[in-house]
Amino acid sequence: MSRSTLSSPVSGPRPGENTWIWLIKIITGPLLVIVLGLHFVVNHYLGSMSSGLMTYDDVIRYFQNPIIPAIEILFLVTVVTHSLIGLRGIVLDMNPTRTTLTIITWLLVFLGVSAIVYGIWLALTIASLGS
Amino acid sequence: MATTRNQPSARRFWSWFIPIRRDIGSWAFALNRITALGLTFYLFLHLIVLGLLAQGPGAYDSFLALTENPFIKLGEWAVVAAAILHGLNGIRIVLTSFGVGVTRQKQLFYGFMVIAIVVILFFTTKMYIG
Repeated sequence: MSRSTLSSPVSGPRPGENTWIWLIKIITGPLLVIVLGLHFVVNHYLGSMSSGLMTYDDVIRYFQNPIIPAIEILFLVTVVTHSLIGLRGIVLDMNPTRTTLTIITWLLVFLGVSAIVYGIWLALTIASLGS
Repeated sequence: MATTRNQPSARRFWSWFIPIRRDIGSWAFALNRITALGLTFYLFLHLIVLGLLAQGPGAYDSFLALTENPFIKLGEWAVVAAAILHGLNGIRIVLTSFGVGVTRQKQLFYGFMVIAIVVILFFTTKMYIG
């Protein structure tokens, strides 16, 4: 597999990277492009600040639609999964020992789960503030 | 297949930051990894900042006032630019991963980068001119 040339046959998993994990990263990527695009538009157009950013009141109002926390949580899970699998891929580029890779993998899993739990709590808290 | 050249190593990681004697493929590779690191760092920073929402309007809105600071605004612009570059370069990788445009990777890269520049200019105008 070649990663540093654009004349390589196809992109694919790195050495040591599970194909399913790589596939999750590849599938969540385009999904993120769409959701992140929406996120940019919402945050730079719908807010009442001169820059378009959302104030506290804007965010609370925005989260009163039940579909919004659901989308934000989906976005959170997707972006955290994609970024941490990608980070592990970068670690693989540094050719770590098996033990180091195992430790880093578990640290990333812990970080990812913590971020998702925290993010879900935050989304639900914000949604409840307006009620 | 250039196996030796693409063998993983820590030295290769640091070489991403040395922009000399690079072909366009190396730039595409480095661009993807560097923007990925920046965006991952920002993601966690963003989650921490959003935690201010749970502390009430005072905490969140006073932080928002900081976004008018030119340095913070530049940082925000960098995040938007990195996301656009990473996203469009990523679409090229996804396409070639599924066998689409494999023989036209350079053209795909240039095409997506032109789109990225146009979108970045659009957001720059929006952020700085309104």
